[in-house]
Amino acid sequence: MFVHCFRLLCLTLFSLMLSGINYANAAQPLRIAVSSNFAPVLKQLLPQFNQQTGITTQVINGVTGGLYQQIKHGAPYDIFLAADSLRPQKLAQEQLIISNSRKTYALGQLALYSAQNPTITWQNLASIYTNKDIISTQQKNKRLAIANPKTAPYGKAAKQCLIKQGLWPLLKNKLIIGNNIGQTFQQVRSQAVPIGIVAYSQLKLNKLNGNLLPASCYTPINQQLVILKNTQQAKSAQLLSDFLLSKKTQQQIAQWGYLTAHKLTISKFTDKKKQ
Amino acid sequence: MIDADLIALFTTLKMAAISTIILLLLGTPLAWWLANMQSRIKVIFEAIIALPIILPPTVLGFYLLIAFAPQSNLGQLWLQLTGSPLAFSFSGIVIGSVLYSLPFVVQPLQRAFEQLENHYLEAATMLGAKPLDRFFSIVLPMTKASFITAASLGFAHTVGEFGIVLMIGGNIPGQTRVLSIAIFDHVEAFEYAQAQTLSLSLLIASFVLLTLVYLSNYKKVNHQKVSR
Repeated sequence: MFVHCFRLLCLTLFSLMLSGINYANAAQPLRIAVSSNFAPVLKQLLPQFNQQTGITTQVINGVTGGLYQQIKHGAPYDIFLAADSLRPQKLAQEQLIISNSRKTYALGQLALYSAQNPTITWQNLASIYTNKDIISTQQKNKRLAIANPKTAPYGKAAKQCLIKQGLWPLLKNKLIIGNNIGQTFQQVRSQAVPIGIVAYSQLKLNKLNGNLLPASCYTPINQQLVILKNTQQAKSAQLLSDFLLSKKTQQQIAQWGYLTAHKLTISKFTDKKKQ
Repeated sequence: MIDADLIALFTTLKMAAISTIILLLLGTPLAWWLANMQSRIKVIFEAIIALPIILPPTVLGFYLLIAFAPQSNLGQLWLQLTGSPLAFSFSGIVIGSVLYSLPFVVQPLQRAFEQLENHYLEAATMLGAKPLDRFFSIVLPMTKASFITAASLGFAHTVGEFGIVLMIGGNIPGQTRVLSIAIFDHVEAFEYAQAQTLSLSLLIASFVLLTLVYLSNYKKVNHQKVSR
């Protein structure tokens, strides 16, 4: 009768061993924690990086604030591509990063997007909600999607703009708050929410038309990367950082709707031409 | 199904299988102990075990996140014992799953043990059977159906886990990216086709599993009715 017990025990031990072996054997890919806004762009860029260096990668995407919390609690990532400079700075203060690895790799831009009504602009958005006309009551009740201002840098910037425009008190109760900018974009794109403030890069990447928000209404979305102190692959992480900051990659990043740290004006001009 | 999804499927099955084995090893003595407990304190233990049923997974996830962090005592101990951190690891989500699915294993077993008629065990004791022998030759065969129910529910509930893994998993492919998380990712990335493939397969698999569980219960009940 002990046989049963023994068998069960063996099975458990065996499966535990299996899971243990899995960790030990697998050649560790470079783990990149990336903010949702940049994840699709990164996925476009990584094949080039892999070709140049032979380094395999794993992309973990999430909201910047959430990824920051995970890193603080010991998540085994190698490099963190945040959507702001606040969290990288905090990680630096907490001595969780390799010193001097904090670099700006892109500057994010906000855009207003509506799948139903692409002509909506930042200016007439205000008129929708402030118009005293009775006909527009229905319009006034339109929901607006933004990312969570507390955890998502794009959400924080969106909130700043809404406050500046005097729309915040009106809209406060009509907002659909996405967990991250990826979710917000998905909500607007699927038309679950009629209007949303999303990352301009998301529109560019999906060949959709939206309208840029004036850069003056929000603090620049200074997207920084950091190499984490606990990484076993500092070299590979540094290579990725160099790759992202290289002139060629920066040009590509600019094409996807970001401003780049060095040439702040490139994409602004091209966008103006289009409009 | 794309490769990444197959990895997620494999991770999910591995997590659920290991959790179920641990759950049975842990849940059986626990259920036995509760079933035979005379004291009124029993209700407190029953309440504690039932907590994951009503608590939002975020509550459990939050406490586990703090407990697993490398700064915490448990996190440190684990790091020293195994050399790898507990937070955001496969072992971490297995521990989370075990706690989360515990009531689904303990409760059916406890009910079964409570209904067990004592005279069989007494007779076996008189004949000189040791406790472990009594368990494997009498208790186990008589409560087999409940064990199957408990194991299937534990397994299924672990496969269906989302909130805790989201909080303590970190979405790492091959380690903590399980099916539910992969689906969430696909939906957020607007990859509806992939989300649909995974969701539909999960829906069908869960339905089949639950039907089998209820089928085994049905047979048991009918069998009892006939024998009476």
